[in-house]
Amino acid sequence: MHLCGYRNHFLGLVLFLLESAAGVSLAAVDFDHKVAPLLVRHCLECHNGFDLKGKLDLSQREAAMKGGKHGSPVVAGKPGESLLWKKISEDEMPPDHPLGQAEKTLIRDWITGGAKWGADADLDPFQLTTAKRGGYDWWSLQPVKRPGQPTVTSQNWVVNPIDAFILAKLEKAQLIPSAPADPRALIRRLYFDLTGLPPTAEQVATFVNNPTDAAYRKVVDNLLGSPHYGERWGRHWLDLARFGESDGFERNGVRNNLWPYRDWIINALNDDIPYDEFVRMQVAGDVLKPGDPAGQRAVGFLVAGLHNTVVGGSEFMKKTARQDELEEIVGTVGQTFVGLTVNCARCHNHKFDPIRQKEYYQLTSAIAGVFHGERNVSDPELGFQREALQKQVAVLSEKLAGIENRGREAALARRKQGDKPPKADPPKPLARWEFDTDLRDSLGEMHGMAKGSARVSSGALVVDGNASWVETKPTKEQLRAKTLEAWVELGDLNQKGGGVIGVQNLSGVQFDTIVFAERESRLWMAGSNGYARTQSFGALEENEAHQNPVHVAIVYREDGMITGYRNGVPYGKPYKTGMSEFPAGNSQIIFGMRHKGGGNNYLKGKIHRAQLYERALTPDEVAVSAGVESSFVGEQELAAALGQASRKRRKELKDQLAALIAREKELGIGSQMKVYTVVARGNPGKVRLLKRGSAMDEGEVVRPGAVAALRSLSSDFGIQPDAPDAERRKQLAHWLTDPENPLFTRVIVNRLWHYHFGTGIVETPNDFGFNGGRPSHPELLDWLASEFVANGRRLKAMHRLIVTSNTYRQATAPSEDGLALDAENRLLWRKSPVRLDAESLRDAVLAVSGKLNPKMGGPGFRDVSITPNNGTTYYAPIYPKGDEYNRRTVYRFSPRGGRSAVLDTFDCPDPSTTAPRRGVTTTPLQALALLNNEFILNKAQAMADRVQALEKGRLDEQVKRVFLDAYQRAPDAEELFLAKRLAGQYGLVTLCRSLFNSNEFVILN
Amino acid sequence: MKDANTIDRREFFNWGIRGIGATAFASLLSRGSSARASSLGPAVFPNFEPRAKRAIHISLVGGMSHIDSYDHKPGLDKAHGKPLGSSEKPDIFFGKVGLLRKSDFQFKPRSQSGLWLSDMFPHIAGMADEMTVIRSMTTDSANHTPALFFANSGFEFNGFPSVGSWASYGLGSDTESLPAFVVLSDGRGGPNGGASNWSSGFLPSQHQGVELRSGNTPVRDLFPAIEQPKGSDAAARAFLQKLNARHAARRGADAMLSSRMRSYELAARMQLSVPEVSDINGEPEYIRRQYGMGESRTEDAGRRCLLARRLLERGVRFVQIYSGGPIGGSPRASWDAHENVQDNHSTEAGRIDKPIAGLLRDLKQRGMLDDTLVLFTTEFGRTPFAQSNANQVGPGRDHNKYGFSCWIAGGGVKSGYSYGQTDEIGWKTVENPVHWHDFHATVLHLMGIDHKKLTFYHNGIERRLTNVHGHVVSDIFA
Repeated sequence: MHLCGYRNHFLGLVLFLLESAAGVSLAAVDFDHKVAPLLVRHCLECHNGFDLKGKLDLSQREAAMKGGKHGSPVVAGKPGESLLWKKISEDEMPPDHPLGQAEKTLIRDWITGGAKWGADADLDPFQLTTAKRGGYDWWSLQPVKRPGQPTVTSQNWVVNPIDAFILAKLEKAQLIPSAPADPRALIRRLYFDLTGLPPTAEQVATFVNNPTDAAYRKVVDNLLGSPHYGERWGRHWLDLARFGESDGFERNGVRNNLWPYRDWIINALNDDIPYDEFVRMQVAGDVLKPGDPAGQRAVGFLVAGLHNTVVGGSEFMKKTARQDELEEIVGTVGQTFVGLTVNCARCHNHKFDPIRQKEYYQLTSAIAGVFHGERNVSDPELGFQREALQKQVAVLSEKLAGIENRGREAALARRKQGDKPPKADPPKPLARWEFDTDLRDSLGEMHGMAKGSARVSSGALVVDGNASWVETKPTKEQLRAKTLEAWVELGDLNQKGGGVIGVQNLSGVQFDTIVFAERESRLWMAGSNGYARTQSFGALEENEAHQNPVHVAIVYREDGMITGYRNGVPYGKPYKTGMSEFPAGNSQIIFGMRHKGGGNNYLKGKIHRAQLYERALTPDEVAVSAGVESSFVGEQELAAALGQASRKRRKELKDQLAALIAREKELGIGSQMKVYTVVARGNPGKVRLLKRGSAMDEGEVVRPGAVAALRSLSSDFGIQPDAPDAERRKQLAHWLTDPENPLFTRVIVNRLWHYHFGTGIVETPNDFGFNGGRPSHPELLDWLASEFVANGRRLKAMHRLIVTSNTYRQATAPSEDGLALDAENRLLWRKSPVRLDAESLRDAVLAVSGKLNPKMGGPGFRDVSITPNNGTTYYAPIYPKGDEYNRRTVYRFSPRGGRSAVLDTFDCPDPSTTAPRRGVTTTPLQALALLNNEFILNKAQAMADRVQALEKGRLDEQVKRVFLDAYQRAPDAEELFLAKRLAGQYGLVTLCRSLFNSNEFVILN
Repeated sequence: MKDANTIDRREFFNWGIRGIGATAFASLLSRGSSARASSLGPAVFPNFEPRAKRAIHISLVGGMSHIDSYDHKPGLDKAHGKPLGSSEKPDIFFGKVGLLRKSDFQFKPRSQSGLWLSDMFPHIAGMADEMTVIRSMTTDSANHTPALFFANSGFEFNGFPSVGSWASYGLGSDTESLPAFVVLSDGRGGPNGGASNWSSGFLPSQHQGVELRSGNTPVRDLFPAIEQPKGSDAAARAFLQKLNARHAARRGADAMLSSRMRSYELAARMQLSVPEVSDINGEPEYIRRQYGMGESRTEDAGRRCLLARRLLERGVRFVQIYSGGPIGGSPRASWDAHENVQDNHSTEAGRIDKPIAGLLRDLKQRGMLDDTLVLFTTEFGRTPFAQSNANQVGPGRDHNKYGFSCWIAGGGVKSGYSYGQTDEIGWKTVENPVHWHDFHATVLHLMGIDHKKLTFYHNGIERRLTNVHGHVVSDIFA
């Protein structure tokens, strides 16, 4: 009776009722097959029940007939009186794209015939793909069907089915594949592609001398088995995971402990775990494998992106920030695993893909328990190892103590008999400032620079308490446990808050300093930022230091224990707080000042001498250093008191202990390690749809679920809106990796293709929707997807298949036909040349210079300075030297911002969003970076030094060696002549620098 | 309907994603991958005759008080010492709402047009006839970093391209020896957010802002970071050219190879042109004085304003000048006058007033002001009430995102004109609000770009500078 309230003719009503009763009518057939698709394609974009233009909904029978703000659109039987006809016939609707004559006629006839609706009351606006958007019939949403191998004319070119699919299209376009790449080009391509590193000249020579298919396959297997494979392909994955080791946004604070996620990725790829397992672990590892530290590391994926840590004060700002956070995660999950830009449906239905706004919130509900943060993850394995180590350490220590105690007693006994103790050797500091005539560090390079009126006079540093101090350059070593020590004379005892010697980060925000009378008058204390590590020693008031220099030392132990000393004896009582880390390159030593930027900061007095140790001294060592008598038996005295056998045994024990302690240190502190990961909220509660995406405008409650447009599997997770987090994420992980989910496999095999060939079969690896690219080889894509499943979803099998195809082994030389018909090489008539990406370039420079440090895993090296300023952290590139900084780029601490010019100009993305595809630009700034950057020049020098040492005085040999290392080939006669002339005149370093910049080095054939 | 799984003949070689961004991956070098050179996209830039060919953007870090500078509020004078009188809890930074405070600066009508401007900027006030003041700006954030990101990129987060990057992407550069988008930071340090403020985001990297610093290496890595053997630069370059030529001959010519070779020629040109443009000693003394050079207070900004003009003369598309260094610290090195507006703003304005006026005059004298946009913007304004206890009229003001002033000079905008209004006390915009999206749309329009057509595909979305917003404020066009 839907039309009853509607201005209608009695006849129409009767007809309608009769037809409805009959169940099927000719007119209804017409509507379903002709009119409905037309409405779906041309009208429902705007009149669809979600997003009503003119309040008119044409997607639903009742609403359509009732009409919008201009009333009912249709007068059955009378087109002339129908608004719908008027708008359509006058080309007012659909706006910009008027209907064709045949379509118009159809609408008119439909109205004339009584405007009868079809079998279903509702039309689904997503039913069909239109000119403007994708529907349920969109190609990527259909189940994967394994296509047969196409027949080709040149069957002998086909090494495996990939070639058949490629060749079929080439033949159709009347293109012929390129010749095979020459063996040297091929083997270099393979090394860079699978490991991100160049081969050695010897590795190339071996293959070039025996370039058989079998030899090639052996190299493929070797490289896939190399740990460098995981580093290379892990780096690709980290692009997708928008892996960044700082929070971004306003504060951009440091994330010290996200690296376990990076290590998990590299290891998982090296272990070739099935891809579905790989994904499940990253979405729900913590709840799928509770207690397994691997799960906690793997879910770092969810929280590796930006995190707003300043959310603002109002309720609206807080809620909006949380919604932004969820969108960031849902968007990354959708794009990475299934190539759907689900995040575009936060405020309305997706404009281009059949994704409802409600489904976006279903996905949001699935991850509603996910929060960013750090957790202590206990690794049972770690614990067992440590326990075993500690037991060994205890046993050995006891043995050692036994020997030493006997020696000590013997030594003390000798003293009683009148033996004068030999002067014990004082402990060796890291740096020493004598202040005799200048501010130099007499042991190293931590020389001081005077600020204000600070000066050296009569063998002491004199500071006047009025903004005068001394500071050093940034430290080259990280400081954790440490000892600060000084001989100081105070200007007066009533001053407050001045520092004697301290270590601070460059901004002065974080510091540990020996301070006089800041909190308690006339008392020494361990000054620190916000008193974080400061407590009273509870000692006696100073009453001497204004007349005589006193020796003051503070010892900071790794476990947070802080002990003060005055004149070589303990100063009050030690206490335990925390330990603060002062990173290399971003910390400095200061004298005469508590820290940069504070009030009542400056010391008035003289500092006669100061020392810094990168470890915690023992009480005896402090006593020796202070030059006071103690029962301390020095090394020499002890050795003299021990017999030869005991001495030998003692040395063995000490060596063993040192090794064990070093190993224990590697395992970290305690039985737990900190990991930046998902801090799950077990019961995140119900999630509601937010109208227009506004955090304050709540709509209906939604259940955890996914996208219904994937018809082959259920989008309903079958759990309640208030289900626990674990259930929600497990279900999400299962939905993503479901064998019936066609996007899951299509997307990953396309990614592999993208990284191997430079462009995917679908050129938008994160977007398989309407706005993305169309597959250049849809059958190949599906064949790869089904082959992937057949191979147990193991990536290495797919790599093997791809790199052993003839398609992959083609040469890069361009052909006229190819360029004319398919300049972008989408048909793969050749292998496209590859400009090394930023990381491969840096790694290659390290490798050929001979400096590459292959150390895997653990915290990243930090080639940035880190400067906190008023809550915001700034990062700027620095170029420290040392092995640690010569590790592969994947192990670089990667904050958002602060990349060096080499990474930056070579298109290494700032990890603010998922980066499925890197830009490949060529710019003058790139040329400048590669010519002049400090890192590049350092490595050019290192390479020159190494080769010169190898081939002393033989320029010919030096030049040849440089070519062999950089290019893995010898120079030809002309090159040798030119290179020798260059190196002869400007040094071998200039040749190395030039080769780093050459096309042959930067672009792979 | 076409089967969604197949590609018809017409599209055979056009699987490309839609929009001009598609070409960025295929093409190279600065001119090649600007949107202008696009062969796929329907849009060609400029879309219409531009009013301005280039722009200088002066960005005030920390938030300039509009009610003390460009927005005269007699109503606030009358209300001095009274409470705000609103039940609403203002969304400000520190949340301390003191009593209303009148301007600490004197306003009067200026020049022919009679624009009411205060004596905070006496020199700029003398150029009032050249500018349109927009007194109805609003923004989304009252926090420094997001607000500055917003002013630069239309988004509160990092990762989005800034106006200069979009201009570079849309219009390319008129010079090959200098970057299209150059940034001149305050001598006291970079703004909050650092280089993210001039990032190219997802646009190809050649569109990022290049920071030009003072000193021997104005652009990073312009010259060797470590001293190299004398004469080795030229020798290395010559050697490289030969080596590359042999390589290309062996392997077959390719666009990627030749554009890399060309990039070294351009780099060499930059090594000449950057020091050349940076060397302002050749400028006549009277010009240098006009910019305030030779006076300690204005030396830094004067040098940068003069440098900006020299860059634009040589074909640079977009120059950004920052006024204000890092937020925080004491004494303040930005416009963030929480403690005392009169002290802080007098100091900050004193640093840039004469240089900017000198720049405007110089551009006008050279006939460049007609087709050069000068943008003068700030993160947000400041509150009409003092930042103090509720019963006090303290000397400082907090952040105000609801209403503030910016101005545009040259480049086809009305002269001596004001647009939009805040309420009687300057607290909120009440007439013709101009959000950053509108401001950006207007700037692009003045440069001949339809802001809806300048797009780049990124992760499923055709991104724009103006997101899904933006109205061109055509009322201010001359």
